Amino acid sequence: MRTANLVLALCALALGACKQSSTDQKQQAAQGSSGAAAPSGTEILIGATLPLTGAESRIGGFYKEGYDLAFEEANQAGGVSVGGKKMPVRLTLLDDTSSQATAASLADRLINSDKVQFLLGTYATNLVEAQTVVAEQNAIPYVNGGGAATAIYKRGYKWVFGLLAPVELLAESIMKWIDAEQQAGKIPKPATISLLWENTSHGKDFRKGVTEFSDKSKNYKVVVDESFELGGKDFSALLGQVKAAKTDLFLADAHLPDYITMQRQYVTAGLCNKVLSYGARGSEKQAADALGKKNVEYILSAVWWSPLLADKNPEAKKFVDTFKAKYQNRVPEWYQALGYETARALFRAIEQAGSLDRNAVREKLAALKMPSVLPGGELTFPAEFGQQSHAPFVVQQNLPDGSSPIVAPPDSATGKGIAPNPNCAK
Amino acid sequence: MDRLVDLVIAAVLLAGLYATMAYGLGLIYGVLRIVNLNHGGMIMAGAYAAWYLHTALGLDPYLALLLVSVAAFFVGILTYRLLVRRLPRGAAGGVQSLLLLFGVWLILRNAAYLLFSGNDQTLRTTYSTRAIAIGNSLVSLNRIAVFGVAIVILIVLHLLLTRTYVGKAIRAVAQNPDSCTLVGIPVERIYALTFGLGTALAAAAGLLGATLFPFNPSFGAAELLKSFVVVVLGGLGSVAGTAIAALILATVEVFAILVIPAYLTAAVGFVLLVLVLVIRPGGLFGQRVLG
Repeated sequence: MRTANLVLALCALALGACKQSSTDQKQQAAQGSSGAAAPSGTEILIGATLPLTGAESRIGGFYKEGYDLAFEEANQAGGVSVGGKKMPVRLTLLDDTSSQATAASLADRLINSDKVQFLLGTYATNLVEAQTVVAEQNAIPYVNGGGAATAIYKRGYKWVFGLLAPVELLAESIMKWIDAEQQAGKIPKPATISLLWENTSHGKDFRKGVTEFSDKSKNYKVVVDESFELGGKDFSALLGQVKAAKTDLFLADAHLPDYITMQRQYVTAGLCNKVLSYGARGSEKQAADALGKKNVEYILSAVWWSPLLADKNPEAKKFVDTFKAKYQNRVPEWYQALGYETARALFRAIEQAGSLDRNAVREKLAALKMPSVLPGGELTFPAEFGQQSHAPFVVQQNLPDGSSPIVAPPDSATGKGIAPNPNCAK
Repeated sequence: MDRLVDLVIAAVLLAGLYATMAYGLGLIYGVLRIVNLNHGGMIMAGAYAAWYLHTALGLDPYLALLLVSVAAFFVGILTYRLLVRRLPRGAAGGVQSLLLLFGVWLILRNAAYLLFSGNDQTLRTTYSTRAIAIGNSLVSLNRIAVFGVAIVILIVLHLLLTRTYVGKAIRAVAQNPDSCTLVGIPVERIYALTFGLGTALAAAAGLLGATLFPFNPSFGAAELLKSFVVVVLGGLGSVAGTAIAALILATVEVFAILVIPAYLTAAVGFVLLVLVLVIRPGGLFGQRVLG
């Protein structure tokens, strides 16, 4: 009987997530119905879902701010020009509750029930992955700024366009900066690497980026190559391997909670490497608050966008200024910038197509070349990469004064990086 | 050699955390024969309570431990009196109690999403990244503190169950509630007390977890699963067994990294769970009834 009870308990736990998402879905359907309308012919209807509740709600809220700003800006200018006629754009935004199943079913509802003409994407690779299938099946242009995994774009989909450059490129951007420091004699040659990556498509892409670079260069040797479970609680055994290997570089790919947990254990274990990076994580204020400013010093990170780009890129400056004007002088993060740019890319393609025909807009998206807020200043969706943008990353480094200047690429740099980590000498 | 010492220390400290997470679940099952699925919810509630007391009132989490545990104790008693008491006892109540307590957990979790959003929160104290040297190893002060609390809970629980009237009554009710009624033990009160105690232990585990990891309203789910493994390994209803099982699980997980990829180490515990259920369904430490 005891065993039976336990088995029941485990089943109930497993069913829990499904039960909750199904409840949430019903709730969303009820909430969303008031915002839905059939196309009137006088406005452009665009649908999107975002994780406004659930695990990704914080970031979902950031993307919403980006979308809202782009729509407001377009409508203030009289709308999007379609064949010489300005048409207002209307966003039907639903909450996918950070659930993959809900994201997919709401995308289907937006297309077939709410009759939206185009879709903007949600945030987080797994949710985007689920929605792209629906978009492809329904042959509707789907532009997203929230899915970076190359797996999404390697399926040969025609209707899916991504603004987030692949995580492999993120890893390569970090390695390029390290390589420049190595050429300058600041890092040993060859340098040894401890490579820790979360066991997700994100982590696998990161690993691929680092290992391919080091294999090609021959100046690096990956000594520790381990993956870890997302949401891990104890990294001490893993960090023990890093400690024993005494490597020059510590390169990890982690989500924010894992970064905080791992870095806390890294610091308490007395570890120090000449270069320390957690991939896209590092410069967040939340991490500095959780770990203390001292404990995040010299961490290197690479992100898709930084407000510091405003110094070099006029499009980024315009975005930062309008964002601050709308949101009480708050400085945007890369999430809002990507949301904003995703909507703008779709508007631009509609304008270039001169019609609301899905095929025409899809073709214009595929051939798009627009001045962008992103690093490099231009947005394209190269066919050879499955219509995934390959805009460069900006590499930042946390400095003791609390700033995180862009240290690479050189055309975007706002400061100079420091290597090796001066704290290791203390 | 240093690496081996590091691994042993990591295993012992991890065991402390696992044990604190599992005590409450094991105690409630041992006495009430109820799998408290709201254990995860109370772990999450304990984490948020510690975070709130720290950020709003500046109270150190270890000083808040008693306060949070006492509050959770009364929440547990209230939960028992309002909900659990109405369930049929024995085999008939198995499914109902699972569903009911799972529902309570969902309510707690969604209330937390409403109150605190899904953002990850962290508890940072002056000693969050402080370490103590043990031989050539630096060991987190926080983890040592969690281990210390686990030992204190083990001793207090053991003394409570073996040396006090209430403890003896709890053990008697766990063995045979009907006979207890005949000899005048207030069975319902003992059930309420045990449920309160188990709930307090869950909240205490959440508080301790919050000093180590970031958390959000989903916190508690992975901890509940881990607690299941520990409780089943140790043998349901055995407090000392729970502590030893926590040590076994932690040791296996930590040392597994020497032979399998790190991301698979978490699965080792579940393999162990299946093996124990198949080979020794009563747990490694048999069917002892508390203490």
